[in-house]
Amino acid sequence: MVSVINTVDTSHEDMIHDAQMDYYGTRLATCSSDRSVKVFDVRNGGQVLVADLRGHEGPVWQVAWAHPMFGNILASCSYDRKVIIWKEENGTWEKAHEHSGHDSSVNSVCWAPHDYGLILACGSSDGAISLLTYTGLGQWEVKKINNAHTIGCNAVSWAPAVIPGSLIDQPSGQKPNYIKKFASGGCDNLIKLWKEEEDGQWKEEQKLEAHSDWVRDVAWAPSIGLPASTIASCSQDGRVFIWTCDDASGNTWSPKLLHKFNDVVWHVSWSITANILAVSGGDNKVTLWKESVDGQWVCISDVNKGQGSVSTSVTEGQQNEQ
Amino acid sequence: MEEFDGEPTVTWIPGLNSQKKQMCFDWGPGEMLVCETSFNKKGKSEMVAGCPFIHIIRKDIDVYSKILRKLFNESHGIFVGLQRIEEELTGKSRKAQLVRVSKNYRSVIRACMEEMHQFAVADKDSASGRQFSSQVSILSAMELIWNLCEILFIEVAPAGPLLLYLLDWVRLHVCEVDTLSADVLGSENPSKHESFWNLPGNTQTLTELELRWQHWHEECERHLQDGTFASDPRLESLCKVLLGDDAALLEQKELLSNWYHFLVARLLYSQPTVKPMDLHLYAQSSLDLFLGGESSPEPLDNILMAAFEFDIHQVIKECSIALSNWWFVAHLTDLLDHCKLLQSHNLYFGSNMREFLLLEYASGLFAHHSLWQLGVDYCDHCPELGRVSLELHIERIPLTTEQKALKVLRVCEQRQMTEQVRSICKILAMKAVRNNRLGSALSWSIRAKDAAFATLVSDRFLRDYCERGCFSDLDLIDNLGPAMMLSDRLTFLGKYREFHRLYGEKRFVDAASLLLSLMTSQIAPRSFWMTLLTDALPLLEQKQVIFSAEQTYELLRCLEDLTSGRPLCAEPDAQQLQEDDIETTKVEMLRLALARNLARSIIKEGSLEGS
Repeated sequence: MVSVINTVDTSHEDMIHDAQMDYYGTRLATCSSDRSVKVFDVRNGGQVLVADLRGHEGPVWQVAWAHPMFGNILASCSYDRKVIIWKEENGTWEKAHEHSGHDSSVNSVCWAPHDYGLILACGSSDGAISLLTYTGLGQWEVKKINNAHTIGCNAVSWAPAVIPGSLIDQPSGQKPNYIKKFASGGCDNLIKLWKEEEDGQWKEEQKLEAHSDWVRDVAWAPSIGLPASTIASCSQDGRVFIWTCDDASGNTWSPKLLHKFNDVVWHVSWSITANILAVSGGDNKVTLWKESVDGQWVCISDVNKGQGSVSTSVTEGQQNEQ
Repeated sequence: MEEFDGEPTVTWIPGLNSQKKQMCFDWGPGEMLVCETSFNKKGKSEMVAGCPFIHIIRKDIDVYSKILRKLFNESHGIFVGLQRIEEELTGKSRKAQLVRVSKNYRSVIRACMEEMHQFAVADKDSASGRQFSSQVSILSAMELIWNLCEILFIEVAPAGPLLLYLLDWVRLHVCEVDTLSADVLGSENPSKHESFWNLPGNTQTLTELELRWQHWHEECERHLQDGTFASDPRLESLCKVLLGDDAALLEQKELLSNWYHFLVARLLYSQPTVKPMDLHLYAQSSLDLFLGGESSPEPLDNILMAAFEFDIHQVIKECSIALSNWWFVAHLTDLLDHCKLLQSHNLYFGSNMREFLLLEYASGLFAHHSLWQLGVDYCDHCPELGRVSLELHIERIPLTTEQKALKVLRVCEQRQMTEQVRSICKILAMKAVRNNRLGSALSWSIRAKDAAFATLVSDRFLRDYCERGCFSDLDLIDNLGPAMMLSDRLTFLGKYREFHRLYGEKRFVDAASLLLSLMTSQIAPRSFWMTLLTDALPLLEQKQVIFSAEQTYELLRCLEDLTSGRPLCAEPDAQQLQEDDIETTKVEMLRLALARNLARSIIKEGSLEGS
């Protein structure tokens, strides 16, 4: 049974662009064209406004929660070309850092796996991707990839951390050498995979071509213990592709068309155990997809915007076994 | 793309009717968020009042039902028990054991049904009462299906006993059958009936049974032909029923509440020795005749039909679609798997169907504040992908209390999930530092084996000491043991505290040696040396000589080291000058004390009394 268990009245004065649950599902962050970022406590079906964060000078496009081991940290990006990192200290939220290294709207922010430390990737309409790394004592180091995508970058998504070889406990706390990778999607219709080299510079490792129009979102699936890596991408061309790479070196990616929609597809997102992909599109619907027995992707549910005032919970059609 | 049987179901979200806007979506750990938005990013806001609501949607809300919780808890016990006895199940007793497990599951369903029925009756007229009622019928349907599966797949009843089981099955679920059997028993041939069906312990073979039944059937037929019952239409109708006449049976439709009841009645009177493999033929015709083209089969009918056809996969598939949570299919599939009835299907998300279903069920449990512990066991018994699933879920459990955190940690430690342990301990250490509970933070970082964090917390301790002149959480620091080695700073903290202890116990010589070694071994951070040297003052001022000459030279060297490295301030301000003043005074005091001590120690060592 799928039912609405809570409706949070955010009181945003303008369009909401993003809403994100924290790690535990206890807090909700929202951002809006009204330039604010709000944080709500939603435990036990309640809704308590915890913070109303002002600092952006334009519509705020996305918010992202960092891993709780770093404390309560939230990143937001906006049309005002800025990325702001907010932190909760002694019960109050305040601006911890502001990054203004972009020449136009910053469209997407994504925190790296916590194993790498506190690193934020930001994609902007100026075509560049910047990576902010927290180095301690309130300092953030910036690395910028210029011209990552011509015309603009719309989305960034990190690959899950892969523990290289055997991990031996180092008492002095020396960090193991992770191979850091992330994916980005842009207005050049491409998806690019980036890898951090030994010298700390980021290099373009792969170009994934299949879309015929702007790539609007990319989402790297969480690792479920299989050797394959999976990325979902969606585009202005109405298509959603599932990219898989089977070999360990990560060199050959093959796309599978999930579906061709009749309208722009804006957003793709994986559930935490990576078994359901949610696709939100221009046709007012959110569809949920699962991979079935023989490797085909099947739509299991439609979440649709209601026309009336009554919400009817409909028994959800679940995975078909064959 | 593969075809799907039927359209995917649609869930409607109440909201403003708007053509221009889209729906924004994101996953939470156990739920989904939707809200209205417009993806077409324009620069300036249109100041159009958008819908400010965000809806939180969840699957598996059954997990929150108090009554169903008993179902989940008790079935968990049965499940775990089944996994454990698997190795011991051999030979003949195996089937009996599995049947017993099946009956256990059913009795749990029934108990739940009873309880819910009480609530439904008590609350008849309200919405929740109606909801309870509908839950009762769902549970009843589940028990009906499970029971049939038990008879056909687990008990594997052969022809002969099969009909008895089916009779029991129908009797259990349909009360009205009692009325019919009363009618039947009131007929002319009850004794023939009873002796005939005296099967338990019966030594008749199937053939003997068939012969006797045939004989009896023919006798009945003869009576009908001869018009024995012509005088009483009721008796005649009854005779026809006994002969398995479909039309006659259907005339009693009100007494037969459904088609499977009709089926069993038909079989009883026309095919008592029906073979399992032939069941589906009679089932299909029974269904058709009973519905009579007036209505179409409902999901429950399809499921039962699939069972009669011995199509286990179809049964599971239909149940998955019809039922609102995974409980039923997960447990039934697991049991059938133990009966070795499922061919392995390779799925992307689970090496076989059993694991897939169990993990789907477990996912729902993790969302609950206490049932998550059950979820752990289900993951444990999925050898292929249970571990990864557990790793992903366990990190998302909100650590609302220390107790809960400890439980979660224990689960991770027992399974050598070191990454998760580290991650959780770090989160707790962080939380403790923010709440100024340094002792707690330290013990979490030690448990996480996180050297960097331990250093951070140790620094905080030392800073606190400098500010307040005393340590907090002495117990913890005193009992660090080998954990002290985790980080240099932590080692220093431990040793420094030891110094204070030695001093308190008036073991001045030991304290002095320790203090010196802290500096010479470079364990003490430079920033702390001044404090250490200041700590040395009382030892230098004692009546007896504590520091040897050698040690005093060392101290002097340290002091010089410290003061020589001090850079000259370019433009000292008033504050700076004042601080410098204090520093200079301290240094001078130290120099004086050290010089005095040097003199005294040289004299002492040089004199005849020796040490």
